Amino acid sequence: MAGEGPILEVRGLVKHFHVGGGFAFGRQAAVIRAVDDVSFDLRRGETLGLVGESGCGKSTVARTLLRLEEPTAGKALFHGRDVFAAGERELKDIRRRIQVIFQDPYASLNPRLRVEQIVSEPWVIHRDVLPRAGWPDRVRELLESVGLRREHAERYPHEFSGGQRQRIGIARAMALNPEILICDEPVSALDVSVQAQVVNLLEEIQQRFGIAYIFIAHDLSVVRHMSHRVAVMYLGRIVELGGKEQVYARPRHPYTKALLSAQPSIDFTGERQSQRIILQGEVPSPANPPSGCRFRSRCWKMQQVCAGEPPPLAEGSESGHRAACYFPEGGPARA
Amino acid sequence: MPDNAAPLLEVADLKIEFRSGRETVYAVNGAGFSVRPGETAAILGESGSGKSVTASAIMRLLQCPPAFIAGGAIRFKGDDVLAMPLNQWRRRCGREIAMVFQDALAALNPVFTVGWQIAELFRAHGERSGKKAEARAVELLARVGIPDPVNRARDYPHQFSGGMRQRVMIAMAIALGPDLLIADEPTTALDVTVQAQIMDLLQDLQKEIGMAMILITHDLGVVADVADHVAVMYAGRVVERGKVRDVLGKPAHPYTLALLESVPQLQQNSQSLRPIVGSPPDMAAPPSGCAFHPRCRFATGECKVKLPPKVAVAPGRVAECHHAKSVFNGG
Ligand SMILES: Nc1ncnc2c1ncn2[C@@H]1O[C@H](COP(=O)(O)OP(=O)(O)OP(=O)(O)O)[C@@H](O)[C@H]1O
Ligand SMILES: Nc1ncnc2c1ncn2[C@@H]1O[C@H](COP(=O)(O)OP(=O)(O)OP(=O)(O)O)[C@@H](O)[C@H]1O
Ligand code: SF4
Ligand SMILES: [Mg+2]
Ligand SMILES: [Mg+2]
Repeated sequence: MAGEGPILEVRGLVKHFHVGGGFAFGRQAAVIRAVDDVSFDLRRGETLGLVGESGCGKSTVARTLLRLEEPTAGKALFHGRDVFAAGERELKDIRRRIQVIFQDPYASLNPRLRVEQIVSEPWVIHRDVLPRAGWPDRVRELLESVGLRREHAERYPHEFSGGQRQRIGIARAMALNPEILICDEPVSALDVSVQAQVVNLLEEIQQRFGIAYIFIAHDLSVVRHMSHRVAVMYLGRIVELGGKEQVYARPRHPYTKALLSAQPSIDFTGERQSQRIILQGEVPSPANPPSGCRFRSRCWKMQQVCAGEPPPLAEGSESGHRAACYFPEGGPARA
Repeated sequence: MPDNAAPLLEVADLKIEFRSGRETVYAVNGAGFSVRPGETAAILGESGSGKSVTASAIMRLLQCPPAFIAGGAIRFKGDDVLAMPLNQWRRRCGREIAMVFQDALAALNPVFTVGWQIAELFRAHGERSGKKAEARAVELLARVGIPDPVNRARDYPHQFSGGMRQRVMIAMAIALGPDLLIADEPTTALDVTVQAQIMDLLQDLQKEIGMAMILITHDLGVVADVADHVAVMYAGRVVERGKVRDVLGKPAHPYTLALLESVPQLQQNSQSLRPIVGSPPDMAAPPSGCAFHPRCRFATGECKVKLPPKVAVAPGRVAECHHAKSVFNGG
């Protein structure tokens, strides 16, 4: 995490899905504002944690960054080149350097290929990475590094358990030594021991190769462990962004506070350490988000101003710690 | 629930193999546990230890071959599940016993809308009015916290986020108010707030209709929060059983102990995590004696050759380890 400039600069990313109308019988035509005006930087060798409620747009951010979905608006500068404007050939090069581990390990593995073929597939597409003679050994090495066995190279995806399949996806993503690895819930299907092994592996690779991670996970303790900085999303927007200690120890946005308080604790001796804040009200639909601050319909600090302009993601008293709230904890934003 | 109530489900000495031309995988190796009416039993265990395969066997959803039930018994309300004609068992599934699958996307049909798939369940089980079936589907989507359920019921599975799909699976499993719900990693894709909401919903249902639950999960926090009993699996066996607080607070099996030591705590500073040393067992050639012995710091010569007995370390506490007593006593 040297003082270099960012390798990825995301600015004003928007992704809207148009659903219904036409053939979708009975479905009202609507626009789902899955991601709305999201901006962040990623530095070499850095891990940016991305957390937030189910359906808030985390996977959509990941998918648009790889152009698996076309963005509605915005820019994503990778070493200064806009991913969203890249042509076919440039995109192929970008996709080699930015890899992703998908949230759904089942859907992302071809059931007709053996693990050997699945993990070596990236080398078929990017022919200059590794000579063919080296593939079998490298595949088995990668499998072992994620806690699978060399013999597993011979098997098909359906012969594995949920957690084992997720690790096949991790091994495949490692095959190209990417500069950025987007991990969408990479460890959620793993028991804590295997999870610890994978987390250690990711950290080791980061230290060795300076790889940067966008780490999407709902397990807040894993995110805290892995990340240098953390972004908290709510209903398509980033509501808080800062160093991990800033966000975890001194949350500023009410949503972040509620989120942190809901983490189940494994303290068997007594009561939970902190009071759980139960959010009132329905989760709004991304097809019809509240005006102004999108969290206001569930926020206990809401005032009239919150319904007006959306609050900007502004720095508070600590540099680098931003929150999009008119009444943040620890005092208002810097003028 | 009284501790002496007759079990609703009983799994005894279950053995399941996957046989292919290449090898035989001994996925489940004599697993046993039971669940009483209204109770929540958690199954914890290593990835690949046979949790999902055991659950599929209970639902009779294993594809045989390549799977073979090589031994043991499954009894539901006293009936021998494995001996029952399959169509008779299918009729009881949904109403009496239901399951939330670990792979939500694969379990949903991509060509039908989410709402249609839920409504179909009601239609298949006697709801004649299509309108009513749809209304009940929407109501269920609302209960699992899908915003704007009326409209979103008309979306297809790929238009839902990972966690939303998982909640659809939960909605389908609870639709008919089963006596036993088997939930395989029901909240892995859910953030903590939605997770808390779903667990509350399941617990409400337990109170309302007396539903029992088998909760398969890696999340120790969830286990500690909601389960009464826990069974810990390793290499196809239940290696430790007992009340949740007792087992997690004072483990008697070295695997359970090692598992707890590898938890990243929310409050913890960032030293590297401590996974269990060594690699998971090769279930095509499981280790002799106690399957955990190659990775166990308590292992002695005996552990390499002899399958450990079930040791009762305290009332209601059983661990399959030659040294269970000394592990339990902090030795
Ligand atoms: N192809 C699509 N068509 C329509 N809506 C979509 C599509 N893909 C995603 N969405 C919607 O966009 C929103 C954000 O979805 P996304 O998958 O990014 O959420 P997420 O934050 O990853 O959630 P989770 O934690 O549950 O995985 C959701 O409301 C989802 O239903
Ligand atoms: N069709 C199959 N053919 C061969 N082996 C299989 C098959 N299905 C599962 N297995 C093996 O059986 C073992 C148990 O798998 P299972 O899915 O029950 O694990 P699990 O405990 O649910 O793990 P996870 O926590 O990762 O979901 C694993 O070693 C797996 O590789
Ligand atoms: S801006 Fe207002 S509504 Fe939004 S989080 Fe802050 S106080 Fe709550
Ligand atoms: Mg997602
Ligand atoms: Mg499983």
